[in-house]
Amino acid sequence: MKAKLFFLYLPGKRAPCSRHRTANLAVRRKTGIHYGSSEIIITFILIVMALLVVLPLVIPLLFAFKTQLEFAYHPWALPQTLRWNNFVEAWKAIRIDKGLLNTLIVCLGAILCTIPASVSAGYVFARYRSQATEILFYAVLVGYFVPVQMILVPLYRMEVSLKINDTLYGLFMPIAACSIPFWTLIYRSFFRNIPREMAESASIDGAGHWRTFFSIMLPLARPATTLAVIQVFMGAWNDYLLSLILLSDQNKFTMQLRIASFLNSYGTDRMPRYAAAVIISAIPTLILYLIGHRWIIRGMLSGAIKE
Amino acid sequence: MKKKASTHPLAKRQKRDPGRKGFVFLCVLPAVLFLAIFLYYPIEETFRLSFVKSTGLSNEQYVGVDNYKKLFRDEEFLAGLRHVFSWAFWSIIIQLPLSFFIAFSLTYYSNKLTKPLQAIFYLPNVLPSAITAMLGKFMFAPNYGLLVELGKALGWDWLASVDFLGDPNLAFWSIFAIATWAYSGFYVIYLMSRIEQIPKDLREAAELDGASMWCYARKIVLPELNYPLRICAILCTVGSLKLFDLPNMMTTGGPGNTTVTLGITLYRHGFINWNYGKAAAIGVVIFVLSLIFTILQFSLGKKEDEIL
Repeated sequence: MKAKLFFLYLPGKRAPCSRHRTANLAVRRKTGIHYGSSEIIITFILIVMALLVVLPLVIPLLFAFKTQLEFAYHPWALPQTLRWNNFVEAWKAIRIDKGLLNTLIVCLGAILCTIPASVSAGYVFARYRSQATEILFYAVLVGYFVPVQMILVPLYRMEVSLKINDTLYGLFMPIAACSIPFWTLIYRSFFRNIPREMAESASIDGAGHWRTFFSIMLPLARPATTLAVIQVFMGAWNDYLLSLILLSDQNKFTMQLRIASFLNSYGTDRMPRYAAAVIISAIPTLILYLIGHRWIIRGMLSGAIKE
Repeated sequence: MKKKASTHPLAKRQKRDPGRKGFVFLCVLPAVLFLAIFLYYPIEETFRLSFVKSTGLSNEQYVGVDNYKKLFRDEEFLAGLRHVFSWAFWSIIIQLPLSFFIAFSLTYYSNKLTKPLQAIFYLPNVLPSAITAMLGKFMFAPNYGLLVELGKALGWDWLASVDFLGDPNLAFWSIFAIATWAYSGFYVIYLMSRIEQIPKDLREAAELDGASMWCYARKIVLPELNYPLRICAILCTVGSLKLFDLPNMMTTGGPGNTTVTLGITLYRHGFINWNYGKAAAIGVVIFVLSLIFTILQFSLGKKEDEIL
C-alpha cells in the first residue's frame, strides 16, 4: 500500500493515454467516489440492452390476454380484462405437458447413461495408464471431434433396423454417446489433479480398486459431477435435431418437437393465441433458469467449451 | 498423454494385482460400448455411404467420389456452404465485439447490477431453440409481428410493410439478428470470466498511471484476452457449420435457398429426398471442416486446461 501511495504522488511523467484520474481503486471504493458520468452512461446502455434481451419475452404478455379484434385495434394497450381462452387454446394446440414429460425422461436417461460411463472411463484413463487404456483414450478423444450432423443418416438407419427408432431410449442413448467423450476428458483431467497419495493410502488400508473408486474417488468428483448433470441435462433439454430425426410418433414428441410442430401448423395470424403459446412454452425453461441460474452459469463456465 | 515414463511403475504393479485388469475392463466397457454402437459404427457407415448410391429402397451401388462431385455442382449445397462462411464472418464481426463490450463494461464497473445483468444476458442462451425460433417469428411475422405492429403504432410505413422472413434479402439477416440475441450471452459470460481472471494489480497499476477505461480496455484487457477471443471466433465458426435449428424452424431454408445451411441441405437430402449417399457426403464435409477448426482450437491452447 505504501509503495503505491508513494507512486501516486510521483510528479511528472504520465502514461501515453492518460486522463485526469489518479485515485487508487481501493481508495475510491472506500471513500465512495465513483466513476461519475461515464459509469452512469455505460450502465444506462447496459440496462437498455438488458431490456432488449428481456422484452421479447415480456411483450407476449401484452398480447396474449386480448381477443383478435381487441388486438387488431389496440395492440399496445394494456389488456382490459384477463381473458384466458387464448391460453386454453394454445395449451390444447401444444399440449406442452406431454412434451415436457418426454423431455424430462430423455434428460434423465441421458444423464444416467452419460455420467457413470464417463466417470469410470475418465478415472481409468487418469489412473490406470497402460498401452491399452492410452489407445482407448485416443479412441474416445476421436468422438469429441465428431459433429452430430455427420452421423445422422447411419444412426437413423441403424435405429430403424434395430427397431429402437421412435422410442425415448433410442433418443437418449445417442445423445449420451455424443456427450460421453467430452465428459470423459473432463473427468480424466479432474482425477489427474487429485493427488495420487489419496488412492495409495486407501489401498494401503486395504481398499480394493472398486472400494477406492466408489468410496473415495466418486465423492471427490462431486463438483465435476454436478457440472456434468447440469450440462447434460441442458444438452438433452435443448436437443432438436436428433429428436426431429429419430421420433415420428406424436405421443413421443419432446417439448421442442411439440413447439416446432405448433410453429408449422398454426401461423402467426392469430397473434394473441400465438403469444399465449410463446408464454406457455417458455415458462418451464424460465422457471428452471430462475431457480438454477447460478449453477447454470457456473457450470457453463467451468464445463466450458462444447457448443 | 504426455509422460510415457509413468507407465513403468504401473506395469510392475500389474503383475502383482489380479483384480486390476477386471476393474479396468469393466470401467471402460460402458463408455466404449456406447461409443462403438452410437458413434463409431455410424461414422464408419457415413464414410461408406458417401461413396455409394443409396436411396434406401434399391440396392446400394458403389459410385466412387460421384456424390462429392455432384455436391459441388449442387446449387443448394453451395448456397449452404456460402452461408456457413458469411454467417461465421458476421458473427465474428458483430457478436464478438458486442459481447466484449458488454462483458468488459459489466466487469469494469462491477456493482450491484452486475450479477442480475449477467443472468439476464445469459438467459436467451438457455432457451431451447424451438422457443427462440418461436420468438423470432413473433418478432418478424409479416402481419402481426412485433416489429410490424411497432411500425404501425409509430406510423412508420416502411417498417410496417416489411416481410422480414419472406424477403430473400432480409431472411438471412432476420435469423442472424435472432441468433445474435440468443447466442451472444454465452460469449458475454465466457469473456467476463476471463476478464475477471486478469490480476487486479494490473488494473490498479494502470489506473495509477492514469489510464482511462478505453486505454485499459485496449492496452491491457484485449491483449490478455487474445486467446479466449480466438477461441470464441472458432466457436462461432464451428457453430455456424452446425447451424440447423433456427433456420429450419423459422424459414426451412427459404425463400429460395437464401437461408439454407449445411445442416438443412443434409436434412433435405437425407430425410426428405432419401438420398443417403449425398447426405452422407455432406456429413463428411461438415466433419472435415469442423475437424480443421477444432484442431485449430486445440493448437491455439497453451495448456490442456485452457481448452477444457
